Amino acid sequence: MIIVNIDVMMAKRKISSGELAQKIGITPANLSILKNQKAKAVRFSTLNDICKALDCQPGDILEYKED
Amino acid sequence: MKYQNVIIRWSKIATLLFVAMVLVGDIFGIPITQYICYIWAEVFDPAKFAALAVVYYLGTVGTYVILFSLLKLLINMGKDVVFDRCNLKLMNIIAYTFVAVAIDCIVGGFIWSGSFILAILALFLALVVQSVRVVFDKAITMKEELDLTI
Repeated sequence: MIIVNIDVMMAKRKISSGELAQKIGITPANLSILKNQKAKAVRFSTLNDICKALDCQPGDILEYKED
Repeated sequence: MKYQNVIIRWSKIATLLFVAMVLVGDIFGIPITQYICYIWAEVFDPAKFAALAVVYYLGTVGTYVILFSLLKLLINMGKDVVFDRCNLKLMNIIAYTFVAVAIDCIVGGFIWSGSFILAILALFLALVVQSVRVVFDKAITMKEELDLTI
């Protein structure tokens, strides 16, 4: 399964959920879905905005783990 | 949108009219069963008449379940609650009640053969409702995936 490590990157960059949600233009509720591993898919545009806001690579946010 | 709301409103009125018809059918159940038994089926056995009356009233109970589930479904549609799991449950109830009514009609068919036609009709309607339910199920799954796409 794919694990979203966005909270790890947020902690590294010392950015709050509200601030990140505002920067990438999604609602805090949707960011929470992403953080809680409940999202079914992530748009490339959203991934692009997250990487831009957190100054990281997609691999820093997404990780594959065997079930 | 306005056009759809008009259709839903008229469907609700039609459903309530059907409920009223079944209610009248319940009130005059015994004379109707007598008519079916003695005139249409030409059966004069009191035991068979009693059995047909039981089949008739069980059929009306099933019809109430179907009509009230349909009314609830239409109320949900009116509130824009369309692709929701509760609607799937209602459709399931409707489909299975149609199957139950069909079985009831098959039993009645042994007394009055015309009841077999009603059984086939009920099974056909169950098939239609179940097919619509499957389509709804797929649509709900797609909507849920879309809602969880960030």
